[in-house]
Amino acid sequence: MATQAHSLSYAGCNFLRQRLVLSTLSGRPVKIRKIRARDDNPGLRDFEASFIRLLDKITNGSRIEINQTGTTLYYQPGLLYGGSVEHECNVLRSIGYYLESLLCLAPFMKHPLRIILRGVTNDQVDPSVDVLKATALPLLKQFGIDGESFELKVVRRGMPPGGGGEVLFSCPVRKVLKPVQLTDPGKIKRIRGIAYSVRVSPQMANRIVDSARNILNKFIPDIYIYTDHMKGVSSGKSPGFGLSLVAETTNGTFLSAELASNPQGQGAAVLPEDLGRNCAKLLLEEIYRGGCVDSTNQSLALLLMTLGQQDVSKVLLGPLSPYTIEFLRHLKSFFQIMFKIETKSCGEELKGGDKVLMTCVGIGFSNLSKTLK
Amino acid sequence: LVQTNGLSNSLNLEKATLTTLDSGHCTAEEAFASEDETEESSCLSTEDEDSENEEVIRKKFPESFQVAGGQRLGSENLTDETSDVEDLLKEEEDYKEENNYSTETSGALKWKEDLSRKAAEAFLRQQQATPNLRKLIYGTVTEDNE
Repeated sequence: MATQAHSLSYAGCNFLRQRLVLSTLSGRPVKIRKIRARDDNPGLRDFEASFIRLLDKITNGSRIEINQTGTTLYYQPGLLYGGSVEHECNVLRSIGYYLESLLCLAPFMKHPLRIILRGVTNDQVDPSVDVLKATALPLLKQFGIDGESFELKVVRRGMPPGGGGEVLFSCPVRKVLKPVQLTDPGKIKRIRGIAYSVRVSPQMANRIVDSARNILNKFIPDIYIYTDHMKGVSSGKSPGFGLSLVAETTNGTFLSAELASNPQGQGAAVLPEDLGRNCAKLLLEEIYRGGCVDSTNQSLALLLMTLGQQDVSKVLLGPLSPYTIEFLRHLKSFFQIMFKIETKSCGEELKGGDKVLMTCVGIGFSNLSKTLK
Repeated sequence: LVQTNGLSNSLNLEKATLTTLDSGHCTAEEAFASEDETEESSCLSTEDEDSENEEVIRKKFPESFQVAGGQRLGSENLTDETSDVEDLLKEEEDYKEENNYSTETSGALKWKEDLSRKAAEAFLRQQQATPNLRKLIYGTVTEDNE
């Protein structure tokens, strides 16, 4: 990917991860200007710097130039190398922030990626490791990324602001991706969840489970919410608790929702009962939005469709998130690919919100860095 | 359209005669059928039904009375009672029939008017109501390509 395609230029700090990930995959350099140029504290934040360092670790031969104030970034991507890596993630964002991008890049490494990430496993901003494990991994499997070494494991849990969590992620490499036809989400058949609590009373998790079940039991009998109370070194540095719920459909679609308690010393204390109830309602909202891919993974699905073989892929999504819309625009500028977008209004048999059917022909991306054996 | 209307009319007529034949009470079937036809043309809106019903009954009353009278000349009191009962029965039957009539024929007629124009309108309405997501996402450039 050392072809000298002309670079793309952007302004502003938004969608930094998208731009860098797509730049790496397409091999086109990017220049990003005016990163918080008018801010009192201009330039890249610490968590963004940490993300760029992570990209540097998993690639070989990347060129990264940042100016004095950190308001301008030039990134010329190298080859995706992979291998065994360890990374200290910044505690301002959770590991999910880094993991989302790694999920996009990992299948295209030269060597299978095996990475240990340390930091915050669950926070209120990014998708937690639990949710990504339950939703993104099955999605990748649909595209033919599978195997024994395909694993995402929470070794230690860490809550903000202290962090101290640890996650192991390993992913096999593939030369080509399978095209997918995900047009029928099916019906909800079971709901699973994890109520976790660290450095607080283990009773918290039980209270969360009770209140969440109160709502969900009315709809479906097959509900199991695990309680996960971690102690000692595996409980990280800060107290906290939360819940993540995943609904599985008959056709293997996973829809998720999650909530976490306020970080220690920030905001009012959250009652576990309220948290459980609100999270259950969020799951119902997500089920209403529906589609074959849940809203946190929309962009991942679209990326893998784009990078598939030269064949038609179809996927039915719920209402597009703003992040996904911007991702579509970026896909157009990096890969010159435009999706066919059809609105499917919900008829009698299809309950819930309006759906969008996304269709595209893959660009026939093949993993050139993978060694042939 | 005209042809289909004619067909439906004739079909309905057949149905009407069939229904009248089915109800064994009626003695003057032909007269009923003709009356029904006139009703069909006159009563299009359901609001008028009740008043017209009454009129119809008034019209029919003498006929049935005559027939009934012809059959039983001996006791007038009895015939009065029986005719009353018959009238009550008829009232119900007529009411049902008319209901069927107005919903089937006039409804069908309205529904079949200008089908192609309605379809075109519905399509345009749908087109305007649903936002063009492609245009919203990719901007106006795609419009030229399409």
